[in-house]
Amino acid sequence: MHRKPQRQPVRLIIAALVVFGLAALSLLLGSQKGLQPQHYIQLTIDGVRAGSIYALMALGFVVVYSVTGIINFAQGEFVMLGAMICLTVNDLDLPLPPALKLIAAILAGVLLTTLIGAGMERLTIHPARRSPPVTLIIITIGVTITLRAAALLVWGADPHVLPAFTTLALEDKIFRFGGVIIQAQSLWIWGALIAILILLYFFLERTLLGKALRACAVNRRAAQLVGINPDRMALLSFALAAALGAIGGIVLGPVTRPIYDMGVMLGLRGFVSAIIGGLLSVPGVVVGGLLLGVVENIAAGVTDPAYKSVVSFIILIAILLFRPQGIIGGGEKPAEEA
Amino acid sequence: MSLKRTSFLALFCILAIALLGGCAPGKGTEYKIGFVSSATGNYASLGLPEAKTAEMIQKQLDAMGGITGPDGVKHPVKIIIYDDANEADRAVSSVSRLITEDEVIAVVSSTGSGPSVAQIPVCEENKTPCISMASAKAITTDAKTNTEYQWMFKTPQTNGHAGEWQAAYLKAMGLTNICILYTNDGYGKDCFANYKAAAEAAGLSVVYEASYAATDTEFSAQMAGVQASGCQAVEIGSTPPVASLATVAVRNALPETPITLGHGVCNQSFITTAGEAAEGAVFPCGKVTVLDQLADTDPQKAVLAKYIADYTAHTSGEAISTFGGHAWDALEMVVDALGSLKNGMSLEDQRIAVRDYLENDIVNWPGISGTFTMSPADHNGLTKDSLLFVKVEAGQWVAFPETDW
Repeated sequence: MHRKPQRQPVRLIIAALVVFGLAALSLLLGSQKGLQPQHYIQLTIDGVRAGSIYALMALGFVVVYSVTGIINFAQGEFVMLGAMICLTVNDLDLPLPPALKLIAAILAGVLLTTLIGAGMERLTIHPARRSPPVTLIIITIGVTITLRAAALLVWGADPHVLPAFTTLALEDKIFRFGGVIIQAQSLWIWGALIAILILLYFFLERTLLGKALRACAVNRRAAQLVGINPDRMALLSFALAAALGAIGGIVLGPVTRPIYDMGVMLGLRGFVSAIIGGLLSVPGVVVGGLLLGVVENIAAGVTDPAYKSVVSFIILIAILLFRPQGIIGGGEKPAEEA
Repeated sequence: MSLKRTSFLALFCILAIALLGGCAPGKGTEYKIGFVSSATGNYASLGLPEAKTAEMIQKQLDAMGGITGPDGVKHPVKIIIYDDANEADRAVSSVSRLITEDEVIAVVSSTGSGPSVAQIPVCEENKTPCISMASAKAITTDAKTNTEYQWMFKTPQTNGHAGEWQAAYLKAMGLTNICILYTNDGYGKDCFANYKAAAEAAGLSVVYEASYAATDTEFSAQMAGVQASGCQAVEIGSTPPVASLATVAVRNALPETPITLGHGVCNQSFITTAGEAAEGAVFPCGKVTVLDQLADTDPQKAVLAKYIADYTAHTSGEAISTFGGHAWDALEMVVDALGSLKNGMSLEDQRIAVRDYLENDIVNWPGISGTFTMSPADHNGLTKDSLLFVKVEAGQWVAFPETDW
């Protein structure tokens, strides 16, 4: 895209027109349904909350894809595992005050899921690492099915409860501003996303390990020439993706009711967010996730909520057709293996 | 050579013993019943208790030595259990295998409405009675002719019965405008169609309707619509966990608006996952979940108490659900029907006799899901009174009869 800079303004104008058109359409449809300004604010706030989870999911996709060139479809299962392990530990009869117990449960959820992510790489991806990416992607689908079935055996088919972080109970604290409602857990979700972005920035920019990971993402062969072991970086990327997924699942846990198959739709939405962001750029996919959350929620609000999932799939198809490199990130393809 | 001869001799002996055993006097032919439920897949929480109930009934029949017919001949019974994972194609192939290869007399199948509807042609063409454990109207009623299928039956209370209860309650409260929210799956859509029909029949107007996916976590789109429509009550047609999340969302957005739900939330899961938001919510429930709320005069009470005791013992203490009850009703109806058969009938005649028994002789039959009275015009045999209206108070279901409204 950098080869034709003269086309940039045209693209910007088209993009602006599309955005304005959609916004006007939303307002028109919304006014026909009798929506008030506070409804739009509520739709946006909830959209940002959903989008934050999508962004965390998308980060997991990016970390794995940029280093290994694999789309890891098990990302959604990491979210489920994080939430499930966390609530299981939290339900244990430990001699700890509730707040400390929840912290211990969160740490257990993240650590165990990270180990499962690393184990997945070692046991399934590593032995087949010389296979073409398609084979590896199909392996991740196999792992997805296995993890989901295992979760059904361990946790059963019933939904579970993870207490809200603020109240340590099922009922969350709710802030009301006029007609607009904000759950305290939403603040935890946004806080978690911001904290992760800051930590991720320091890890990737300031630590040797992070720099090695990035080097591997930029050009695996060159990274290998300067002494970075790409196999170890692949392991690290899966562990990191699992940790990101687990954190997403844990902060999301209290606003949903974790169930063994919760990873399916989340994984898909995270994938769409990653595609919007071009699959390679961290800021790109974060904006992609937030954008998807807001757009699908507002679209659902002004039309029929039944179309909510349709919106994400239309976006996915449209982007794959017209801008396969993503809307925001505009990243390059990962280094090709010789 | 001698080894070969020995083998043949051994084979001959085994065959002879098997044949002699088969000819033992006083023992009738084996009765086979087919059973398909969704013990895995997204309906596993419904299908598993059903499959366990089938195992339990098999054990009880074995302990009794089988079913004794009117001529005094005792027949051992075998329940052949398959899993369809709530996939229509697997249900259809399982049912046709049961009918043509396993040669069962009757089939109990399946957990979900989708698979149950898909199997209709197989049951009808092979002239085999099939009893579904799912609730959609289309399972037993041919929409084109509005008559009952010849060979199809079902045991659960329908969403129509649940809709009638909710409409009657909201009407009694003096409300006129209601909203309906539902999951966009087979169950939710059937809820919506039935709730809407029942509400309109009661003179209520449905001013807003919206669906959500079973996996949704954000409901601001639906709540915006509910608020903008200004409806006075919200009916929710879902099962947990999304039913709980929708209830919480309505409670948060509209703290005072009455919430009514269908009998899909009559499990402990709803109360534990909705918490305080469930307080004050009203819904009709199968009596098996609210045994302690039943009057002693209720004709089902004895049957219910026995089933609950047996199931709890069989599963070493698993929670009771209405779904296992649907399986119990279906299988016990078949067992009763088989008890009316004389020895020596052909499979074809057995199937016809069982079908006729189900249609004509299940009268005031106290079961788990209600007191059944089947007829050629009604292959479900239940009314609204098969459900008990309850209210959630302090985390418990409490009977909420019409006199208290």
